[in-house]
Amino acid sequence: MGQLNKQFDSLVKALTPELYRYAMGLCHNPDTANDLVQETFLRAWRSQNTLRDVKTARAWLYTILRNENARLYERQRPEVRDPHTLPAVPVRGYDTSTEAFTLRRALTRLELQYREPLLLQTIGGFSCKEIGGMLDLKPNTVLTRLFRARKMLREMLENTQQSELEKLS
Amino acid sequence: MNCLEFRRLLLQDPFADDPAMHEHEQACGQCNHYAKEQRAQEARMRDMFDQITPPPELAENIQLAVRLDQRGQSRRQVWFAAAASVLLIVGATITSLVTESWERGNMALAQSVLNHVNDEAHHLREAGPVDNTRVRFVFARFGAELVGDVGQINFAAECLMRKRNGVHLVLPGKQGPVTAFFMPGEMTEKAIPVESERFQGLISPTPWGSVAVVGEHGENLQGLAEQLGNAVRWPAEQASVGAGDLTAPAVFVAQK
Repeated sequence: MGQLNKQFDSLVKALTPELYRYAMGLCHNPDTANDLVQETFLRAWRSQNTLRDVKTARAWLYTILRNENARLYERQRPEVRDPHTLPAVPVRGYDTSTEAFTLRRALTRLELQYREPLLLQTIGGFSCKEIGGMLDLKPNTVLTRLFRARKMLREMLENTQQSELEKLS
Repeated sequence: MNCLEFRRLLLQDPFADDPAMHEHEQACGQCNHYAKEQRAQEARMRDMFDQITPPPELAENIQLAVRLDQRGQSRRQVWFAAAASVLLIVGATITSLVTESWERGNMALAQSVLNHVNDEAHHLREAGPVDNTRVRFVFARFGAELVGDVGQINFAAECLMRKRNGVHLVLPGKQGPVTAFFMPGEMTEKAIPVESERFQGLISPTPWGSVAVVGEHGENLQGLAEQLGNAVRWPAEQASVGAGDLTAPAVFVAQK
């Protein structure tokens, strides 16, 4: 049991930061992100015997977090803060530049089916095949969604830039 | 590779290491500019997330929550084991009490049968035989019907046995008179032996109650209770109707 605890503690220390970032990308709420990461590790601990390969632990934890987020929305629909406003709780390293706020707002406007693969690739660095496995999608579908996600994001940012310029002129 | 193909691949993965893409990017100024913009946006997005740092206590809180959960599980396991033990003891006690109660009930029934034989010992002297119509009549009062041979009957009457009415018969045996009680509603799980200084017998379970046969020591009673039980057909609801039935009058008639 001691060895198991040590291994799990190492996993918690190594993966908490990136899982927290992924959670923030999904919910934009530091409190909810905290809860999501904690619940993810608790669920993982309780069902660690179902994990056959330690190498897949990272993808497994991302999948648990994603499911936990979906469950949370089904249960209570937590408040999603407008990414244009500062979080109620201070977040260390939170980019407060105008560009970052604009980018966060555009990301929030993306439908979840496009946002999820984009965050998994950007934050998690997962390949299309891995993302497909996590989202239960074919790799080609993942590629299509990534293409559309970036295209929409680009258009939204360009439109924002355009309207900002119009306001100034 | 044309521009459309290049931009499709670029938006799928802006940092893809594809020689064909590099080649097109070098050759096409517009796509080169487009790719630079896209990679800059991508880097901005990565930086934005990479800079976010979770609260310093989060990892510790998670470890603590896991430890508490672990302890809770162990505690639950201990509680489950304790609860299982208690249930086992309670179950064993109940079983023992039920068995004891059954045993006491069986002994009480056997004693009632013997008491009844002794109290009405005068019926043992009935010479008979009783008319078959009379026997049918006594059983008919319970809705029962004679369907087999019960042999010679020297006495037949409805009587009260432990708060329930039943049929009391006396038959001639080899060692002396044999008493038979048909006791609807007196359910027993298994055969109960009846024993006294003078008499011996057996109470046999039937689907509607039980049949007791009691005779002198040395009398061969083996199979008699079963034979008598099979000779009478009782209505299916008899057991429940007969149970606790105090409304039907007890008739003690010595048929000469």
